[in-house]
Amino acid sequence: MHEPDVHDLATRLVQSGIAARHAHRAANEIRDHYDDLVDAAVKDGAPRREARRQAARELGKIDDLVSAMSARRELKAWAYRYPRAALVVYPLACLAALPAAPVYAGIANAPLLARWGASLLAAALFTAGLLLVLQLSILFG
Amino acid sequence: MAKSNPPFMSGVPELLLLRLLVNREMYGYELVRSIKEVTGEAISLGEGVIYPVLHSLERNGSLKARRKPVGGRTRVYYSLTKQGHGRLQDLQDDWRRIQGGIETALESPGHA
Repeated sequence: MHEPDVHDLATRLVQSGIAARHAHRAANEIRDHYDDLVDAAVKDGAPRREARRQAARELGKIDDLVSAMSARRELKAWAYRYPRAALVVYPLACLAALPAAPVYAGIANAPLLARWGASLLAAALFTAGLLLVLQLSILFG
Repeated sequence: MAKSNPPFMSGVPELLLLRLLVNREMYGYELVRSIKEVTGEAISLGEGVIYPVLHSLERNGSLKARRKPVGGRTRVYYSLTKQGHGRLQDLQDDWRRIQGGIETALESPGHA
């Protein structure tokens, strides 16, 4: 094994179904562990190049780590743990919730909608007033 | 890669990790070193393979993880939760029961 590539390891873990939170943290922990092993070997008198090789050997193969993580169902993303729910129930729930989206958006943005409504009402009243003045000036002018 | 342990060691890493974390919080590298030390190198966990066990223990509520900046690195320290103490007690009881059974079997002259 070469020096662990954190990004590559995290990507492989995510691809194997591990939840992103665990994948990224495990990859960073492995990287730190590798650095600790290198530091320990250097402290013991090994040249840095040999220390890196030794650390990589001790750390083991990335494939083994990916397998060990993947074997634990509890570390998988929920879509991998409950594939039926992810493929059937979740899309249906989203479809069912779709009509409620505008209502939810309205409630969430109530102050903004109130300001908009008040502005439109003011504009409409102003225009109606102008038209009324024009109409009256035609009738009595 | 570090030498692996035989299949009957299943559950032992969990027990050792929980036991070591009773006294203080530790990070992965520190835990691997401590396991080697306290078991007189009789048990050696694969350096990288400790992390799936730690993450699983955290996932089931036995451990709590927190990031802590140390010497320019951000380490993830693990500590035991109340639930973890209970899990440790259960594992210790199981282990002692199995150990007692094996010792009895080994010492029994009729079945040697």
